[in-house]
Amino acid sequence: MINPRGTRRRLALSVIVVFAIVAVFVVRLVDIQVVRAASITEKASERRTIPVTTYGVRGSIVDANGVVLADSVERFDITAAPVNVKLDKTWMRKDGKLVQVPTAEAIQAIANITSTDPNVLYATLTKDPKSKFAYLTKAVTLDVFKKVRALQIPWVYSELHPSRTYPNGAIAGNLVGFFPSDKPLAGLELKQDSCLASRNGSSTYESSADGIRLPGSTIVEKDAKNGGTLHLTIDADLQWYLQQVLSDQGTALGADWGNAMVVRVADGHIMADADWPTVDPNHIDGTPDPNNWGARSFSSPFEPGSIMKPATFASLLDAGVITPETHVTVPGIYTEGLPAGSKIKDSWAHGDINMTATGVLMNSSNIGTAILSKNLSLKKRHAYLEAFGFNSDTAVDFLGESSGSVLPLDQTDSITNLTQQFGQGMSATSAQIASMYQTLGNGGVHMPLTLVSGCEQADGTMTDVPSTAGTRVVSESAAKTTVQMMEIVATQGSVHSVISIPGYRIAAKTGTAEVAEGGVYTSDRIVSVAGLIPAEAPAYAIVVTFAKPDTMRTSAAAAPAFNAIMKQVIKTFRITPSTGSVPNLPVTW
Amino acid sequence: MTTYGNTALAPRPAPASTPRTRPHIEVAPTRAQRRARPRLVPAIVTVAGIGVVLLAHLLLSIVLADGAYQISALQTEQRDLLRDQQALSERLETLGSTQNLIANASALGMVASGNPLFLNADTGTVSGSASAPGAGLAGWKNLVGNSLLDGSTVIDPAAIAAAKAAENASTETGTSVEGASVVNTTPGTIPSPQTH
Repeated sequence: MINPRGTRRRLALSVIVVFAIVAVFVVRLVDIQVVRAASITEKASERRTIPVTTYGVRGSIVDANGVVLADSVERFDITAAPVNVKLDKTWMRKDGKLVQVPTAEAIQAIANITSTDPNVLYATLTKDPKSKFAYLTKAVTLDVFKKVRALQIPWVYSELHPSRTYPNGAIAGNLVGFFPSDKPLAGLELKQDSCLASRNGSSTYESSADGIRLPGSTIVEKDAKNGGTLHLTIDADLQWYLQQVLSDQGTALGADWGNAMVVRVADGHIMADADWPTVDPNHIDGTPDPNNWGARSFSSPFEPGSIMKPATFASLLDAGVITPETHVTVPGIYTEGLPAGSKIKDSWAHGDINMTATGVLMNSSNIGTAILSKNLSLKKRHAYLEAFGFNSDTAVDFLGESSGSVLPLDQTDSITNLTQQFGQGMSATSAQIASMYQTLGNGGVHMPLTLVSGCEQADGTMTDVPSTAGTRVVSESAAKTTVQMMEIVATQGSVHSVISIPGYRIAAKTGTAEVAEGGVYTSDRIVSVAGLIPAEAPAYAIVVTFAKPDTMRTSAAAAPAFNAIMKQVIKTFRITPSTGSVPNLPVTW
Repeated sequence: MTTYGNTALAPRPAPASTPRTRPHIEVAPTRAQRRARPRLVPAIVTVAGIGVVLLAHLLLSIVLADGAYQISALQTEQRDLLRDQQALSERLETLGSTQNLIANASALGMVASGNPLFLNADTGTVSGSASAPGAGLAGWKNLVGNSLLDGSTVIDPAAIAAAKAAENASTETGTSVEGASVVNTTPGTIPSPQTH
């Protein structure tokens, strides 16, 4: 018999229990779905969401013909998780099979592939056994990385390590600069970083249990941006030739340094700008002296000496105060208007000589130049020098460029007043000298000196295109006449037999400048030859300079290099033999 | 519909037994009532439709997931191939460096030309004055460093000697007259193509 009261009680109890259980579930549900919903969702997505860095590639630096001078390459850092390393045994692929080997054997295998010391690797792995991360070796090539990966050692990982390479070594190393590890340190790499630099992007995706990206789950937070390609005006092969010649001649002369520059007359583009000694950007340690890391042609002004004289003669011709035939009687010593005890001398002893202006330039007479300069006021001569580009940076704006110095008018004493017209008491860089010769070759129009022809952005657009606006410094006839006078120098001057090239007309000027140290001129010299080829229609300006040669201290020391470079310029740019004949300008009267 | 067996209701006279009475009338079901009647075909269609949708969804998921694996595999392959390509172009750039070309040219016995000469194709005249080869400075030992080159990319002298021996053997019949005449035209210089 059923007791109805007992039944009811049981029923009530069941209902209460069921309700209690449901109540617990409801509380839990609210807790999970409402109260802690946000943090749990976050945790879950953290577990699924994988952040990835997408790498932008730093732009390359190429020459005028597209030859790569600096390029980005992928290197790999081999890393490890010491916490996962068991010191007795480890898994490794050996002879095609995944087997357990002694850990020492695995370390030896890595060391063999990466050419590292196994003891160092062992020390790295055991230094902090709880560490999750340690570098085994940095920046290995793809080959090495693939071999390490093929070992399939479980505690070995890798990281991408974007790196720089300079396929042409020291060619244009002075201009390109270098980027040894994480940041640019010199040259165009540093100066043009805004063009070259890339930006890494970031994105996330959700991954499945086996690490596969879930379709449609990728969220790009930031796009990676590749750097631009920096186009230079230089010709890498010509640059090599200049460096080769400088190295050969510089060593033979026992010079401290040398530089050479070739500039295209029509637009001021630098075809080559070589330095010796210089740096191989792949191996900076091979060039211990930081003075040899850059481009001296921009950074090291020097008293140029007689290669300045064409600027003086062009100024005087433009002002109309001289002609190529102007008569000058050049004394052996010049003291007129100079403070007591001061005198201007020529490089050779002589008595009074009757020279024409052309003869003064041809003989490189300092006294003759000083006498002719007096025909024009200092203020006007100073203005001409500044118009030629002295006293200001060139348009290249190279890293660490110097503007040289021409003293301000009010500080120019009566000696410097005259000596700066033949390149003493003032200073200039090779780049400024080359720019001055470019102006003379270009009919008196100074074009902005250009090394970078543009930055080609990743989308193909060209930015940073340099200005092509020229400025007139002297009249066309003054410039042409000066070039003709320089042709007399090249055919009758002291080094004419060394620099001449059969079939070609050239215009040139030599310089042997005294080097001042501590305010006193020493026996050291900076020797140079600068010129234009072909003289009848100048296409290229060339400047060659050697500092402090030991074996020969006259401009003749730089002449063979000048000649060799001219021949190479003829070959490189296919300049056909000259037409017409050398102008007939008298040098004496 | 039938009322047989419905004992609760009073027996109704059969319609047949009341001939010539009013024609049979029935309460017409309202629209809603008609619609409420269960209908087999739409039911089957609906259920089948749901089945198809679910199946399609499943298949789509499978294809999508399969695609995800494919994409992942292809992306890995693309990355590896790009790396290979970069490594190869890096190698090419190094091999194409001026220093490497000079080292190999010297190994082959090549020298630089002397003074520049120009051949006018219209008149057939040569302008410029010839000089001995290698008239530049510096001999032909490269003085401009490149630490990427370790000398392993220079042609093996043994290979050159072998090639020379093979060439001598094959030209013993004497067909090199043409080559000699080119050399005679511009004594002391290496004929170089005048391409643009």
